Amino acid sequence: MFSIDQYAYSNRLKNIHPGEKVAFALVTLLIALVAPRPLIPAIIIALMAGATIGIAGIPARFYLQLFLVPFSFLVAGVAMIALTITSQPQASLKGVTLLGWTLGFTPAGMHLAGKIFLKSLGAAACLYFLSLTTPIVDILTVLRQLRVPALLVDLISLTYRFIFVLLATVNDIYTAQASRLGYASLRTSYHSLGQLAANLFIKTYRRSQELFTALTARGYHEELQVLEVAYPFSWPFLCLAAIFDLVLVILMLLT
Amino acid sequence: MAALLEAERVSFTYPDGTQALQHVTLSIPEGKKIAVLGPNGAGKSTLFLHFNGILRPQEGCIYFAGARINYSHKALTDLRQQVGIVFQDPDSMLFSASVRQEISFGPLNLGLSREEVGQRVEAAMAATGITGLQDKPTHFLSYGQKKRVAIASVLAMEPRLIIFDEPTAYLDPRSTRDVMALLEDISRQGKAIILSTHDVDIAYTWADYIYVLAGGQVIGAGTPAEIFSDATLLEAAGLARPWLLDVYEDLKNKGWLPATAPVPKNKDDLLGLIPYRSRSKLAI
Repeated sequence: MFSIDQYAYSNRLKNIHPGEKVAFALVTLLIALVAPRPLIPAIIIALMAGATIGIAGIPARFYLQLFLVPFSFLVAGVAMIALTITSQPQASLKGVTLLGWTLGFTPAGMHLAGKIFLKSLGAAACLYFLSLTTPIVDILTVLRQLRVPALLVDLISLTYRFIFVLLATVNDIYTAQASRLGYASLRTSYHSLGQLAANLFIKTYRRSQELFTALTARGYHEELQVLEVAYPFSWPFLCLAAIFDLVLVILMLLT
Repeated sequence: MAALLEAERVSFTYPDGTQALQHVTLSIPEGKKIAVLGPNGAGKSTLFLHFNGILRPQEGCIYFAGARINYSHKALTDLRQQVGIVFQDPDSMLFSASVRQEISFGPLNLGLSREEVGQRVEAAMAATGITGLQDKPTHFLSYGQKKRVAIASVLAMEPRLIIFDEPTAYLDPRSTRDVMALLEDISRQGKAIILSTHDVDIAYTWADYIYVLAGGQVIGAGTPAEIFSDATLLEAAGLARPWLLDVYEDLKNKGWLPATAPVPKNKDDLLGLIPYRSRSKLAI
């Protein structure tokens, strides 16, 4: 997760207008979801991977590792869809029969499973493209411009910022416990972990109070107003993205 | 010099019964450097929260620029523009993952135009030397860098008085030096500064005037020379004497300095006072 965040700030597409990246990722995602044939999501996976690795400069090894996460979920889920259990004999069903029940695959089931598999990976590729090239701060800027309620945007922004503060706190408490043998045995580990959780809750509560005080001191009233970075529109990116999506739509309509 | 901020017999007790302030009376002159010394739990932070209206005194009152603080929404916004607080822990101040956005928060709350805010953010980043960090997310910054961002976020509101709550705590010597140099710059622009610290050497050299707090009360007030020559007061507040004064007195007692040598204000003053060996024989 930290690596995704770091790449979002350091990739070669960072300075592209975040609105363009969000639009590109979401439109392509939509196409992947509505396309009736598996060919379209397959193209999308290839092109998104190309854009993320080739253009944004994300290391291929890291990108593939990232894909293992949805991949393992998908394989398990899709296998269930592909499998058919029935007591009705079907001509196309191939598998093992036991006590009149057959467990096996049908071509239709396989086709459906493949389609869902590719669609899901295509959608994941679109979201990975967005999260690897666009820092959260920029995505929030887009959300504000899209008139998403300020409360929601502020909440996301605070959550994001304080994930890091929270993890640092966990790390500090853990180190302090471990250096006093708090995790030496299973018994003490359970005990220490419980203490850590309780302590974290108290610290988090105190920190939220401190934050509120500090914000009030700077004139906070009910909205976290901030100055947005003005990114210039990138015409080359916009044109490429538009052409790519258009070709996909035409391809989808033709096939 | 006219008083910019005054506290008159301010008392405050927290809901849990801790009596944090008892009849605190003090005055902060315009454009001066004021140090507030005192052990942990002396009530320093509670006092500061009264200075920009976050806490309301249960007894007594606070005056800003001669007028009693008004706790209406509008008046508080004005007050918080004029009185900025840099809290001790930058992580509890910084709410945004973007350095630029963090600094822009205060000035935007003042209702300034976006252009004006942009200029102030640039100026504050330049003054604190963090222009190079503006595109970095706050969570990748070091503690010292976060501290500078926190200072910049207050500077951008252009207050007349800035309160620094233990600004050098946890900082390495270099960052401490940088922060103190920054305070010197801010002071030269005519802003008043309140600094709370446990570092008596910094307080002695830096401050124009010192208040000593203990147990929620002001137990001493005076120039650095007055405060640090009062042994009873230092004992009561649990404060050490600055090494500068110890060395100065020892040199004087042992005859290395003439009895008429002026009390040094900083290290360079003291080194300037110490005569060369050949001439020192004459002094003895």
